[in-house]
Amino acid sequence: MAMTDAALDAAHEGLRAAGIDFVSGLPDGWQRPLHERVELDPDIRYVPVCNEGVGFSICAGAWLGGKKPALIMENSGLRVASEYIARISLGTGVPVTLLCSYRGDVGETEHWGIPHGIVAEPLLDALRIKYLIVRHVEDLAKSIVRAKRISEAQLHPAAVLVSGDCVWED
Amino acid sequence: MALDRYEWLGRLANRLPEDCLVMSTYIGAVSFEWAHHTEEHHRTAHLGQMGDVIGMAVGLALALPHRRIVCLDGDGSVLMELGQLVAMGEQQPDNLVVFVVDNGVYESIGWSRQGRRPTATAGHVNLAAIAAGCGVPYTVDVTAEDELDAEIELAFSRNVCSFINVRTRPGHSHVRPRRTDGIEDKYRFVRYVERLEGIWITGVPPQDIALMKDRKG
Repeated sequence: MAMTDAALDAAHEGLRAAGIDFVSGLPDGWQRPLHERVELDPDIRYVPVCNEGVGFSICAGAWLGGKKPALIMENSGLRVASEYIARISLGTGVPVTLLCSYRGDVGETEHWGIPHGIVAEPLLDALRIKYLIVRHVEDLAKSIVRAKRISEAQLHPAAVLVSGDCVWED
Repeated sequence: MALDRYEWLGRLANRLPEDCLVMSTYIGAVSFEWAHHTEEHHRTAHLGQMGDVIGMAVGLALALPHRRIVCLDGDGSVLMELGQLVAMGEQQPDNLVVFVVDNGVYESIGWSRQGRRPTATAGHVNLAAIAAGCGVPYTVDVTAEDELDAEIELAFSRNVCSFINVRTRPGHSHVRPRRTDGIEDKYRFVRYVERLEGIWITGVPPQDIALMKDRKG
């Protein structure tokens, strides 16, 4: 199962509207189509990685060089990236917009997604990362824009957790 | 025969291209001695920490492909996140040269009568070989001073993504710790990059200020 076509369009539109010009990430089942879309966007430099911590470090370096970065990943990747988010962003104040699949949210069908849902929000709180949970497609694009906006204002990451109607058509 | 860290960092600092940017470690002997040699020039971002220095350098190199990026890291840091080498080898930014101070020990944690705690490079692990296996186009394991001079010359005379591992003797830092924290280090570097590149990284960009004035009528 992957994000719906409408959510794919909205996420891509949101990234572009936010001025995101640099994306790193590790594809997951839900947001795989977005990775494929972004990779083809000539206005966005796409850097695939093999773990989300490296992706966050790369995004941070890109920001220091003037890019507006986003990291696209499953929420399980938050746990991997948390070490580098803490070191880099809590320590020095570097903004990266985080776009995460919210596995384990209400409606989850897979048992393995449950731990991801249990950990994600407390972990974001622990890292002092403000976040929006998007369960309706029509909220997705503007949520990405707003997350990027506050990340730049506070010089710290902000996150969008994608779930609900963005992935399920039931 | 391993090299003396303070001495070889000084050699590198003396040959550093004027218009390059440097991603360095944040704390520890490498950062302190590099800062001493370079008089804390703002072209260096003392922002990298255990496991993220090369990753940040890759991001910086991709963001500014016309600009030479030099990275200074330590063996313990590289070992903590080998996935950085995968990204470096996959992206192969030709403006990036990584120098690793490989002293085979966790120097900054101190030591006892039993000696220093070894890193894996004191055993069987060869970081240059790992980098090569990850696809980094040029890798070398340097063990002698004349060899290092030649590698520095080569690194700055061509555009090839390079990983230069320098076998270094363990030893105390020769200088006092730096005084600044990551926040100050970030602003120093960001302001320097803004001036150097003529870009806007933090704050409201000039075009948006103009827009705000328009909206106010």
